[in-house]
Amino acid sequence: MNRREKRRLKREEKLRKAYERLAEGGRFARWKNERPFWGGVLSILSALVILYIPLHLYAIAFIPGTFVFIGFLFGGLLLILGIFSLIYPQFSTVFGVIVIFLSVLSIMGALGGFLIGTILGIVSGSLLVGWERHEVDLSGFGPGAGGSRKGEPAPSVPDAGTGSLQA
Amino acid sequence: MEMGRDQKLTVGRVWKKKFFIALFTGFFSLFLLIAAFGFTGSALALPLGGIGDFIVEFDELQGSDFELLPHMGETGNADQSPMVRNKMGEAKIKGLHIYKDLKMPTGQWVRFHVRAEGETTIKGLIQDARFIHANLSFEGLSIVEKNTENFAENWTQNAKKITITDAKLITDYLFQSMVSLKGAKISTELIDQPEIIEQ
Repeated sequence: MNRREKRRLKREEKLRKAYERLAEGGRFARWKNERPFWGGVLSILSALVILYIPLHLYAIAFIPGTFVFIGFLFGGLLLILGIFSLIYPQFSTVFGVIVIFLSVLSIMGALGGFLIGTILGIVSGSLLVGWERHEVDLSGFGPGAGGSRKGEPAPSVPDAGTGSLQA
Repeated sequence: MEMGRDQKLTVGRVWKKKFFIALFTGFFSLFLLIAAFGFTGSALALPLGGIGDFIVEFDELQGSDFELLPHMGETGNADQSPMVRNKMGEAKIKGLHIYKDLKMPTGQWVRFHVRAEGETTIKGLIQDARFIHANLSFEGLSIVEKNTENFAENWTQNAKKITITDAKLITDYLFQSMVSLKGAKISTELIDQPEIIEQ
């Protein structure tokens, strides 16, 4: 078995475990599973932390030439991206890249939410970038059955009766 | 939960490799940005006001396009308090020391210090002060009185150049379009009581 095959089997094993966990979970668990939940929630939290400083300086935020307005802009965009990542999970990678970019730049104008917002934003952006969705086809459990991620062979799904993995 | 045989199930998860690559890239970009600030010693638009008044001390300031006008502004204790607004197009400061006393949730007072060992260059300075104790000298000073409805315009001082030495200012607001602090040191100090300046 070469490395590629081993990697594929490892990936299938992880998907199988996720699928089994999901089978036991409730409605919220299924809803959470279909989107980059923690990436989105942490993005929203980092946006609120970053917005904390401009919100306290709102009196000067709209004076031309101040950078406090930029703090508002970056924090606001982060908030919107966090919410959108929960609504449109298919764009999680793009949102993640933009979240990381905005979090780093929020050092200017909002002091990065005392750096805490920046670090939270980088972590949440990374979670968004790393998140992937796989569709597992449960119809038949025989050979050739199973879902796929684009460009990859279909992963195997566990046999409903025996619980074994069929390639 | 019932899983029908003709159902498609979405399984979402975070893949470690992609996560760590993105995380590393993000922190590397952050490091580069902070390094850029460190090399140039510059920060853009550092708003220090709005979080209570603080003390500014320096040995010498050479400024240009100086303007002083009366102002009503917010302090750490009041919504509106009379103060003066100083504006300068450009200023070079030697021996700058900014500090603020803060009470921690534990009840202990802490003094936060920002010192610049080298020369500080500021562009676009706006400062609101309630108390100024300093030696001042001006070049081309004019004091203008006007009769308008805006009290801030009714009495203003303007000077082409200003030199301030041995200054101590209670500052409630400080804005700088661009500031470059050479040899900046930020430190904290535990104190028994905050500094109270007799006005």
